Amino acid sequence: MLQLNPLKVECTLFFEENPYTFETAEGLASRLGRKTTELAMILEHLVTVSILEKIGDGEQAIYRYLQPDTFQFQREAIWD
Amino acid sequence: MNQYTSTGIQGLDFLLNGGFPTGATILLEGLPGTGKTNLSMQFLYNGAVQYDEPGLYITFEELPGQLYKEMKAFGWDIPALERENKMRVLCVSPQVLLEQMETQNGLFEQIINEIGCKRVAIDSISLFQIGDESVETKRKTIYKLRNILRKFNLTSLLIQEQTAAQDSEISYINYVVDGVIRLALKDYKEHYRKRTLEVLKMRGRKIVEGEHIYRITDHGIHLLPAFSMVEDKAHLYNATAITTGIPRLDQLLDGGIPEGSAFILDTNSKANYKYLAVSIAANRLLAGENLIILLSSLSTINDLEFLYGLYGVNLKEYVAKRKVFFIEHYRRPIPPGFEEAIIDVSDLKNEEYRQATQTVLLPYIQSSVERNEKWFVYYDLNTIVSQRGKDFLQTYFTEEISKLNASGFSVLALSNFTELGPELSSFIERTSNGVIKTWVEGSYQYVQLLKSPMGKMSIPLLVENINTKPYINLI
Repeated sequence: MLQLNPLKVECTLFFEENPYTFETAEGLASRLGRKTTELAMILEHLVTVSILEKIGDGEQAIYRYLQPDTFQFQREAIWD
Repeated sequence: MNQYTSTGIQGLDFLLNGGFPTGATILLEGLPGTGKTNLSMQFLYNGAVQYDEPGLYITFEELPGQLYKEMKAFGWDIPALERENKMRVLCVSPQVLLEQMETQNGLFEQIINEIGCKRVAIDSISLFQIGDESVETKRKTIYKLRNILRKFNLTSLLIQEQTAAQDSEISYINYVVDGVIRLALKDYKEHYRKRTLEVLKMRGRKIVEGEHIYRITDHGIHLLPAFSMVEDKAHLYNATAITTGIPRLDQLLDGGIPEGSAFILDTNSKANYKYLAVSIAANRLLAGENLIILLSSLSTINDLEFLYGLYGVNLKEYVAKRKVFFIEHYRRPIPPGFEEAIIDVSDLKNEEYRQATQTVLLPYIQSSVERNEKWFVYYDLNTIVSQRGKDFLQTYFTEEISKLNASGFSVLALSNFTELGPELSSFIERTSNGVIKTWVEGSYQYVQLLKSPMGKMSIPLLVENINTKPYINLI
């Protein structure tokens, strides 16, 4: 049976509803009302599965949502 | 900054003489609940939909998802505009934003280029001011923010949360930005509150000063500029306006006082109304109308002959042609040449007064009306009150105005509302189509159009004496 991590779902839904969010892990934790340490791990995972993109490193790294295919072309134009 | 960016909010564009200066940074301040977010969103939405100018809304605290829902209530589908690349609602913290704005080809610059952004709203810059930094550091931050927005020629609204404590304090931000707009909620008639908008500063644009009421409607903010009232279309229909001889007044009245309308000239005891009244009446004579003047105790025929002469009207010649008549309540010497034009009512009771004026004037009026000639009547209501009483004025004035209007006569009635009292003044004001008020306050005389058939009102205009006709200039 597929086990869904509630925080992962919460985080993904947040970015779906607020697609142009650009925020640090600490900033996102504040918006979601969660602990930064727990959220940081989830964010890293979402980056590895290409739901989020990470810009920069360390505590000041910013996470942004990678929207589905329709925006692929623009995203490449922006980030490449 | 000669070009302007229309907000698409009709009343606000009127106040701004077209819109915000393009590329300007404008502070939008107000207490919670005044509609700052709505106004900013409306500015961006109208830009995207009406002017093909994409916009960027930056929110620090409110989540975009919530804003989408709130804006949907006004019929604004923001996500649809985002899909069309006409809008972005960016959710970011102030520190991240500033860092990205400073970064060459950072996120901010990329989004601006991606959608071809022309308009920005930042909600709210109050969050830049929180922290331990000195005022100087905070000022530098705002200054940098303004410079970046200006560099990209973005017409920007910076929302600022106002607190009661800040009310009397002018923030340093006011000096840095190009414009300041304040939204306020004020008590109104005990149980109500009214929303007002005031443009406090707008570099490079002529603005309409003062507080203007707005409402938040189903379609967003609807602002009604002060001094606008409902047009009296019945009176404007087919009516020819005749110049008052005073250019600024003609401009306000769309050409002058329309034929067949009744105007009140309300004065206080210090104000010099003579040039205003004589200019209006003299121009009616010059336009071919006939004139009836009810003389006051303060104006003799000799005085009037001189005053009308200043406006190019030889009263004696008009009298000889039976185009001017005087109603005289006082026993005074009559200058030669004017005897036939005087209707002496000095000893007449109220009933006799009506009859006497009608008996004398009716034959002239009938024959002139057959020739399609018009008449203009100048009353001194204070004289009627002092000679015939307030009750007489109340009944007489309504009947008289009604009869005169029906016959196409135009009327200018001099009055002092303060002396007449609020009840009678209000009654007379209702009966009339227009009210021009002149008064002295401090060392200046003012003129204000308070009511007109075209629905316009004016701000108080300063009266300047000049040496040439019409001898007064309204500024």
